[in-house]
Amino acid sequence: MTALEGRAVARGRRQWPLPKQADPDAPLLVVEGLTTHFRLGRQTVHAVDDVSFTLNDGEALGIAGESGCGKTTTALSLLRLLPSNAEVVAGSVRLFGIDLLTKSDNALRRYRWREISIIFQGAMNALNPVRRVGDQIAEPMMERQGLAKGAAARRAGELLELVGVPRARGRAYPHELSGGMRQRAMIAMALACDPAVIIGDEPTTALDVMVQAQILELLEDLRSTLGLSLILITHDLSVLAETCDRVMIMYAGRVAEEGPVGRVYRAPRHPYTQMLLAAFPDVHSGRRDLGTIPGMPPDLRTPPPGCRFHPRCPAAMEVCRTEVPPEVTFGDRVRVACHLYPPGSDGTPRSLPPVRGAGAEVGQ
Amino acid sequence: MSGTVREAGAPVPVGGELIRLEGLQVHFPIRGGFGDLIRRRPGGVVRAVDGINLTIRRGEVLSLVGESGSGKTTTGRVIVKLTRPTGGRLLLEGADVTDVWGGDRLRAYRRRVQLIFQDPYETLNPKQTIHDFVAEPLEVQGLGGSPAERERRVLDAIDTAGLRPASDFAFRYPHELSGGQRQRVVIAGALVLDPKIVVADEPVSMLDVSIRTEILNLMLDLRRGRDLTYLFITHDLSVAWVIADRIAVMYLGRIMEMGAADEVINDPRHPYTRALVSVMPTPEPPQPGHRARRVILAGETPDAAHVPTGCRFHPRCPLAEQAGIMERCRTEEPPLIELGGGRASACWLAESGKPLPAVERRIGATGLGATAG
Repeated sequence: MTALEGRAVARGRRQWPLPKQADPDAPLLVVEGLTTHFRLGRQTVHAVDDVSFTLNDGEALGIAGESGCGKTTTALSLLRLLPSNAEVVAGSVRLFGIDLLTKSDNALRRYRWREISIIFQGAMNALNPVRRVGDQIAEPMMERQGLAKGAAARRAGELLELVGVPRARGRAYPHELSGGMRQRAMIAMALACDPAVIIGDEPTTALDVMVQAQILELLEDLRSTLGLSLILITHDLSVLAETCDRVMIMYAGRVAEEGPVGRVYRAPRHPYTQMLLAAFPDVHSGRRDLGTIPGMPPDLRTPPPGCRFHPRCPAAMEVCRTEVPPEVTFGDRVRVACHLYPPGSDGTPRSLPPVRGAGAEVGQ
Repeated sequence: MSGTVREAGAPVPVGGELIRLEGLQVHFPIRGGFGDLIRRRPGGVVRAVDGINLTIRRGEVLSLVGESGSGKTTTGRVIVKLTRPTGGRLLLEGADVTDVWGGDRLRAYRRRVQLIFQDPYETLNPKQTIHDFVAEPLEVQGLGGSPAERERRVLDAIDTAGLRPASDFAFRYPHELSGGQRQRVVIAGALVLDPKIVVADEPVSMLDVSIRTEILNLMLDLRRGRDLTYLFITHDLSVAWVIADRIAVMYLGRIMEMGAADEVINDPRHPYTRALVSVMPTPEPPQPGHRARRVILAGETPDAAHVPTGCRFHPRCPLAEQAGIMERCRTEEPPLIELGGGRASACWLAESGKPLPAVERRIGATGLGATAG
């Protein structure tokens, strides 16, 4: 499917017109130079720094990295759903060409849930414990789409069946559902307003292996039947391999590498991507030699100068300590921010020198 | 990239029996509410662990794998004597310790059997220094001799857990440490008594992957250096495969399959294990046809208060119907059948010793039916 057909499918599906200022030819979601800071006393945490990416219609983008790499903050920044001590200080988020970050809170509300919805990790915490699940799914449709109560309830029932929950279970309270069922209800709620973009923030992390497989398959099926545009955030790279078209690896608030899943996973370029992938065992290919990444992610109140990965990088050079590596996009549509791959280089993946002392030693 | 979990080295000799569970059973009564009382509704029972036999041999890493509600954690808690079994026996080096619940014998037992919990954030007391946390077991046990000797043992344990220099770490507080370092502190606390066996309940589940490998490495190094045995409890089959010599797969309070780690993963002899292996995510991009090979079981693990009759896995078993032995699966519970070579499976189909038949149809797991591509 070409990008154009994908767009036609996804936008053709819409039950209501695009927002007035929308540019029908603009890509679905374009994020440029997104920079988000947290205030911590007098200090500033540089949580997300100059992050750019594009999401096309019908595409699934995975954002992966370890805790504290800024993947969730990036997602929450798109809709300014941040805690009160956080602020988007630079960058733009364009949905159908409309810059969401220049909108007032009131104007932005129109886009939350209706255009971009989020499946949170802990469905038990995200759902209201004292309201029936079906009512909670119906609520955004009444509020944002102006559906009458009966119509919204009917639609909520349909959505529940779509995600594999018997319609009658809509009368249950969240605690009466199992973890997997709650996560399905959460997905139904995210689908409620037929949004342009759905963000899954660790949607399967707390679930059992088999339930995780069920939910991932559900997301894949929904993608193929409904043409969803999806951003999937996870710490578990192996979850993304089957679900996403493209993957973006983040480290310490910046993009390390981004590109088609097959390219990034088979021929990782950035040393961090290489080491991260090597830390996952793979029973299907029989690889159980696990690599380590010595040291710890930096304290983002005082991020290291130059490349943020250089203190842990076995291939670090002098330039890595002083200069932020530029993002270079190669012919296979992989974008890398690493001095090993300067602009104009052919981008052949470089193997890393062996890590010394990777064992029971502590970085500090 | 070096630092692999299984570095080349002399294989660790596995010795005789260290821990044995015989017909272990842990049933929890369900305390009904007031409504049940006045309606004279009988209270039920949760069969958390429902008759398992398991031997842990000296020097081995045995991994207990299962989903939530499989009884793996309860089994671990029985072994460290935090939960009383309602039936069966627990033996340490051949001696029955099932009824040891106090006094010197319990203290002596605890010296030899230590526990590592999942969450290093909750295990540590935020107001306690690393030193005091590690020293506490020695105080409780009245061990360590002179203060100087005790001090030496504490620093030694901290050092062995890879927190170096130990004297520097000893007087820090948990909030000054990273997640990986905290888990090392927990390990130091378990090591200070010089135990024979460590029961580790999901010790790496809370950790980022890059740190996970370090902790697994540390545990294996300690096995060699300190002559340790591990019972490694995890929900993650791939972690079990990486660290364990043998794997026992639990489902709803019973062991479904047991054997050498490689064999269980590469040639599962129980349909439940096979399904678990098939859905394990892989960091490789999918090959064509991979999706078709996945066996996603429908539904969820039944609750342990209502264990199905016969084989407890039969309502979700993708083979029960097609193999034409459904009747037997529904009525008769298979024991853990020995298959030779240290392997065992609790499946009637494995009885013949042949590999399991292929799953013929794909199980509609999502409720979307035929929409799957």
